[in-house]
Amino acid sequence: MADTPQPELVTITLNGVDTEVRKGQLLIDAAEQAGTYIPRFCYQNRLKPVGLCRMCLVEVEGPRGTALVPSCTQPCTEGLVVDSENAVVHKAQEGVLEFLLLNHPLDCPVCDKGGECPLQDHTVAYGPGESRFVEEKRHYEKPIEISDLVLLDRERCILCARCTRFCDEISGDSLIEFVDRGNGTQILTFFDEPFASYFSGNTVQICPVGALTAKPYRFRARPWDLEAIESISMVDSVGSKVSVQTSQNQVLRINGVDSDTTNHGWLSDKDRFTLQAIHSEDRLRVPLVRKDGELVEASWGEALELVAERLGSVRGDEVAGLGAARSTNEEAYTFAKFLRSVVVTPHMDAQLDDALSDEFLAATLNRAEINDLETAGTILVWAGDLKEELPVLYLRVRRAATILGATLIVIHPRRTGLSDVADHVFTYRPGEGADTLRRLKAGDGPFAEARQALDSGPVMTIVGRTGGAEDPRLAESVAAFARTLPDAAIMPLARRANVYGALDMGVSADLLPGRVSVRDTEGRTALEDAWGPLPEGRGKHATEILQGLKSGDLKALITLGADPVGNHPQPALAGEAVESAEFVVSLDTLLNATSARADVVLPVAGFGESEGTATNLEGRVQKLNRIIPPPGQARTTWSVLDDLARRMGATLGAHDAETIMKEIASIAPAYAGIDWALLDWGEGRDGVVLPGPDGTQPLQHMPVETSVTATTGRFTLHLGRVLYDNADVVRNSPSLDVLVQPASAAFHPRDLAVLAVQPGDSVRLAGDYGTVELAVRADESLAEGTVYVQANMDNSRALGASLIVQVDAVRGEGS
Amino acid sequence: MMDPAIDRVLTRWSPERQERARAVLAAYPERRSTVMPLLYLASREHGYCSREAMVEVGKITGLTSIQVESVASFYSMYRRQNVGKYVISVCTSISCFLRGADDVLAAIEDETNTPDGETSDDALFSVEHVECSGACGGAPAVAVNWELIEGVLPDKGRALCQWLKDTQPETVLADEMQALFGGQQSFDWGIAEPQGATSHVPAFERYDSAGDAS
Ligand code: SF4
Ligand code: FES
Ligand code: FES
Repeated sequence: MADTPQPELVTITLNGVDTEVRKGQLLIDAAEQAGTYIPRFCYQNRLKPVGLCRMCLVEVEGPRGTALVPSCTQPCTEGLVVDSENAVVHKAQEGVLEFLLLNHPLDCPVCDKGGECPLQDHTVAYGPGESRFVEEKRHYEKPIEISDLVLLDRERCILCARCTRFCDEISGDSLIEFVDRGNGTQILTFFDEPFASYFSGNTVQICPVGALTAKPYRFRARPWDLEAIESISMVDSVGSKVSVQTSQNQVLRINGVDSDTTNHGWLSDKDRFTLQAIHSEDRLRVPLVRKDGELVEASWGEALELVAERLGSVRGDEVAGLGAARSTNEEAYTFAKFLRSVVVTPHMDAQLDDALSDEFLAATLNRAEINDLETAGTILVWAGDLKEELPVLYLRVRRAATILGATLIVIHPRRTGLSDVADHVFTYRPGEGADTLRRLKAGDGPFAEARQALDSGPVMTIVGRTGGAEDPRLAESVAAFARTLPDAAIMPLARRANVYGALDMGVSADLLPGRVSVRDTEGRTALEDAWGPLPEGRGKHATEILQGLKSGDLKALITLGADPVGNHPQPALAGEAVESAEFVVSLDTLLNATSARADVVLPVAGFGESEGTATNLEGRVQKLNRIIPPPGQARTTWSVLDDLARRMGATLGAHDAETIMKEIASIAPAYAGIDWALLDWGEGRDGVVLPGPDGTQPLQHMPVETSVTATTGRFTLHLGRVLYDNADVVRNSPSLDVLVQPASAAFHPRDLAVLAVQPGDSVRLAGDYGTVELAVRADESLAEGTVYVQANMDNSRALGASLIVQVDAVRGEGS
Repeated sequence: MMDPAIDRVLTRWSPERQERARAVLAAYPERRSTVMPLLYLASREHGYCSREAMVEVGKITGLTSIQVESVASFYSMYRRQNVGKYVISVCTSISCFLRGADDVLAAIEDETNTPDGETSDDALFSVEHVECSGACGGAPAVAVNWELIEGVLPDKGRALCQWLKDTQPETVLADEMQALFGGQQSFDWGIAEPQGATSHVPAFERYDSAGDAS
């Protein structure tokens, strides 16, 4: 990461005290850092200052006497003399508040914001106490539903423009604006068009009054009844900082917490509202055991005895484990240790062969941090559509391109959320990525300018599978090229919340805990000293595991929060594998397509219910906190595995999460020196980027270029993700589930003509792994010969991720 | 290079307005700067500043529809409701008020059978009161489709409405109406503008920036 240069300091006089501040820093921030809080409404530290509300007026000395100036637009200069507390300033503050309250209703007792409302608080602290306004206030129809998630009470709005500026500057979804500016200024959407933004919840969070409220939270709690604890979002691998807020053991709200390194305070609505899944009625509460073909409730003792007996009745290396990508590091570590040292099998995978290789994700050379975006000269994004897959990372890239002025190059099979702000956008037909890369490298034709931009560093490259059907080796080839660029920083992407952590914990056929290759004999010996003898050789990956189960080479499967039947690129294979397995045990929070077919299902603690750490996509370890107990009899994963180990005649020593982290730090080289005290939340503390303080990283993965042969076939598949899909967590969050759109098959209009189909007609798509029928849509951004299908939808899942698909129009009866 | 999204909108417009729009787009380095002149063109195309008009301007300028509406709703001269063939604007600000503008307005409302702020059933008239028309020296002032008449007294106001009803001119011309229905005039300082108006949507012929004269 690039070093930030030392800022130049100047001295200002603030309320009579000389204070050193950064030159050019906004006075409102400088004062706050010096311990003087200046009240504000429109200023929000992540938005550009606008000086709209005048709440932050202070008195500043100038050549012609003193003047009131808004401190949110006043940069600090040498010798600035400021008074933020004198009578003139107080009079101004009273005036501003009296004006704001002309129209703002005094309905605090029934307003969601009451108790945490800046207007309420400032009125108490700086207000006049009484109003001279006796006339009628404004009235509007209330509330109006501006989206499925957000409600608007216009009469409460104080016109600070935080919400509109967020949409304009940060998310790029400018779907709300001031209309009828003048006496009747109000926030509105365009007629009945909804405020359909993946980031709408942020406007609710930053609205300084109760004008914008979130439907899932409205009238559910009063802020003073909420207990809040910091944690990180486990919706995706960005590791966004959140505040989890509960009352009576119910998580009622998740808000973003400002972190310089990850989310800047922002969250996606998926981060924010999937809390509903925590309290889903469908949460697993008791162990289930299959009897006469049915899963029936059982005691923990009965269920664990059965699992111990069945796992003990087969050879260790006939057992395989899948999952842990949504578990904490401590849980994942226990899982890996259980599999390798108790069951004694090398076959395990935290992924489902749907992203990139384990070594690449865990240990690439030139690995980037998110903050490398802040200093990047050029950014190359050749990955999934970030807005759909990792929305908060999308916000950070968008910021770099629009506010920080980086040159952005986006390469993807279709237009993405970033296309509008990118300097160079290239689309290609899936399967032809290698050729696209060759042309980019050569600066061929339309690639000339982009190629030139890649010479001005630092160059940050974000690589990932653009879609489920794309060869994962393409991303490595891109990274191999990216490494040759000036000041290269590379971020290989995977999406599941703690997949990087699970790989670091050794839930991998190729990796041992702490970024050690299974082929590293020294690392292996060191681990054997701690864990006892390890299984020989490299293990099987997810697809090989499923094949092994199907063929009978493997007999038993343990899943931990994974659903291969629902999520593996070859759904039919996964289904057959689970059917043919002699024994399947699932540790999970919800029943899914895999666990529903398991022989034993063990309910485990989920987000907010167990303490631990997680490692995000830049290798940052952060602390997750426990705030509520798990439902029913559900237990933490490590205690279940510990119990199971004991019943199998071994010990794991997994007594509590903190002890497990100590063990991790002593065993996993990259985690050496990490302990919970180091990860404690606090001002300016954002966890630790690996390797830890005393850590080393034995495995250094060098991305290699592989020549991926171009495909033949009339149509190739772009299986792209969308944010709201039929994932279990969305299905169990009613507020988001209604936003899911079924999958369709999109083609370039010329392909539609060739196929002689119209939008709305049906086509049959037949790939190597399955067949589906979908409605047709036109998408001009696609290259000809591409069919784009949204992944992970109930109506598209059966297709699987085959690159080449056969497309046939489905003719209705009589036509 | 013209964005295909722009072309898709413009090719739906009349050839003259398409051409005008392209000239406007060429005159500004930033597309979003063209929002105001384009709103006039779109209003002409759709008869008023309709939802569809704002959507189209959004597509051309790269703004979202609501951002366009935010601009359009700030200015009363972008009509977001459909209006009559003749928009009669009676100035009721201070000078005109002192010279009896309220009576003029009442007479016009009565004669057209159209209350202030509304449009007649036959869509011939819209009547409104407006703030200072900049003709205080010739108060009270009335404008028909922005063509200004000064020194209009109540009965002249009635006669004006009757005349519009009877003759229904395609183009209204300030000088002609001034001669027929006007009274005391402020000194004549304006640039002679013999073009007249064909609708309530202003046409800035001279500045090549918006509207059209036909
Ligand atoms: S709705 Fe809230 S955030 Fe938006 S302008 Fe009004 S007060 Fe500000
Ligand atoms: S906070 Fe400074 S003007 Fe609003
Ligand atoms: S007051 Fe009527 S024109 Fe000025």
